[in-house]
Amino acid sequence: MKLLVVEDNLNLLEAVHETMLLEKYLCEIAANYSDAHEKIFLYSYDIFIVDINLPGGSGLDLIREIKTVNPETGIIVISARNSLDNKLEGFDLGADDYVTKPFDMAELVARVKSLVRRRFFSGNNTVSNGGITINTTTREVWVMDREIGLTKSEFDILLFFFSNPGRVLTRESIAEHIWGDNMDLADSFDFIYSHIKNLRKKITEAGCSNPIRAVYGIGYKFEPE
Amino acid sequence: MNMKLIKRTYTYTALSLIPVIILGSLFCYYMIEYISYEETDEFLTYEMQRLVDYHKENNDLPQFHQVTDILPGVKYDMPTFRDTLILEPADNEMVPYRELFFTINHKGESQTLVLRHLLIGRDDIAEGTILIIAGLMILITSILYIIVNYMAGRIWTPFYKTLDRLIHFKISGPLPEFPETDIDEFKSLSTTLKTLLGKISADYRHNKEFSENSSHELQTHLAIIRATTEKLLNNPDAVPHAEELQKVYAASTKLSQVQKSLLLLSKINNREYSNAVRINFQYHVEQSLELFREAISIREIEVTSQLKPCFLVMDAGLAEIMTNNLIKNAVKHNIQQGNIAVTLDASSLIIENSGTDLPGNAETMLERFAKGEDGNIGIGLAIVKQICELYNFSISYIVSEQSLHKVTISFR
Repeated sequence: MKLLVVEDNLNLLEAVHETMLLEKYLCEIAANYSDAHEKIFLYSYDIFIVDINLPGGSGLDLIREIKTVNPETGIIVISARNSLDNKLEGFDLGADDYVTKPFDMAELVARVKSLVRRRFFSGNNTVSNGGITINTTTREVWVMDREIGLTKSEFDILLFFFSNPGRVLTRESIAEHIWGDNMDLADSFDFIYSHIKNLRKKITEAGCSNPIRAVYGIGYKFEPE
Repeated sequence: MNMKLIKRTYTYTALSLIPVIILGSLFCYYMIEYISYEETDEFLTYEMQRLVDYHKENNDLPQFHQVTDILPGVKYDMPTFRDTLILEPADNEMVPYRELFFTINHKGESQTLVLRHLLIGRDDIAEGTILIIAGLMILITSILYIIVNYMAGRIWTPFYKTLDRLIHFKISGPLPEFPETDIDEFKSLSTTLKTLLGKISADYRHNKEFSENSSHELQTHLAIIRATTEKLLNNPDAVPHAEELQKVYAASTKLSQVQKSLLLLSKINNREYSNAVRINFQYHVEQSLELFREAISIREIEVTSQLKPCFLVMDAGLAEIMTNNLIKNAVKHNIQQGNIAVTLDASSLIIENSGTDLPGNAETMLERFAKGEDGNIGIGLAIVKQICELYNFSISYIVSEQSLHKVTISFR
């Protein structure tokens, strides 16, 4: 998987770059419009992560160009505008997904993985880890070959964990993953606590040891055996 | 009183005709009377002249039937006119006559001859006056009607065009072009409007750019803070400082959320969401209930909803934000095993939910940064209020003595 990340803030670009390298992606970076423009025409990328506000041009123009040069590329838009504007604008241009700043790296990784699954593994949509198997299309979950029924949020949380094994997922990032901008974070923690409790219960009842570890005061971590 | 410009012009023109009618009638009346006297007197004078000439030639008095009266021995130095009324036996009516007394010397004796001629009666003059004035008025009114119409069509055209362009002006759109005109007043109207709209438009753009740029900068740096703390949280060496890191992380998350809400408020205020379409509000209420369905079931909240189709013309995104914030509020401030009742019909949305007592005036919950009991700052309802203001919906928030919270929005 080859990625191109375009973001004008070097610190943020570096953080994304590091994260993507840790996830074993081939990741290239560009910090301005002309660099990105050049790279688009020289190489082909599977995933294109782009900030809308760039020095020297608009990320939206880059999306238009990559769509003509290489229509297969999956596109994730990074924007500082609120989600309402993105819904109107980003998808119109053919972006596959968007994240709003500030985002958690865990969230970005989950979005990239989800996009990769949708784009490049359309035939095989199952992922397995530690005795748990998820079909991302049919939203079915098997634990030790026994199917368990999860609610929508429980499924979303489990898939979020699957995309970020071994990484601490903060309660804030889980809340944003489920509700987007629609929940005030502080109020959502007890809901998340309930969701995680139920999820753990369903997994352990099916005969798997508890893979979700609480990180006190911060969040949760998915560590299957 | 609202009235069209042209209708008002007609009214004022018609009103200004009233003194013209009154003065014109008086003038007309006296004019006819004057001419009538003039003509009668002239006729009588000719008649007198004829009789005097006859007398000179024949030295004979005219026959009695040729004059009205002959008064022997009466002498007038000058011919004298006199008005008189005579009873007309046929009509039994007094009829005005003009008489001319003049004296001729007949065989050394003064003989005063009297000539008499019928005058036009006052009622006849009045009748004539009315006919003339009425005819004139009909003529003047029809000509005025044509002229006013023509003027409205011609002179006011640039004004109506300007007005039309103003009505259809959208603040996010381009500045309207006003029609060319050689009328000074319309010229200065166009210039003033151009300046004004230019200023408004520039303010709108600056405001929009400012909030977008500041938002971009702020959120980018918040993203860095978040990415860095997130990285440290995953670093085993930083575990002793996990609590501090969590504080930094939480604060940056909270800050970015507040900023997003404020940006949204400012955008609503700046009327940047002008993509109004016809939507079924029922759909958005149902979507919001679905979004919070699991949260509702975790709290064991009983939801009763009576939803009827409700068609509104508004921005679909704002409708979504509105219903999400309202349902979120009802879930968030609810109690375990509480209840929510949602009623929607064509004219209003009522959301009632159980909750805790609210000290002070509930309406203050609609203000920005109103403090809830847990010290939470609420922008959600302020956003709802702002959207309501944008579309002229009225909103009220009351808390009953049974700690029942009730938000009512009437769409009107």
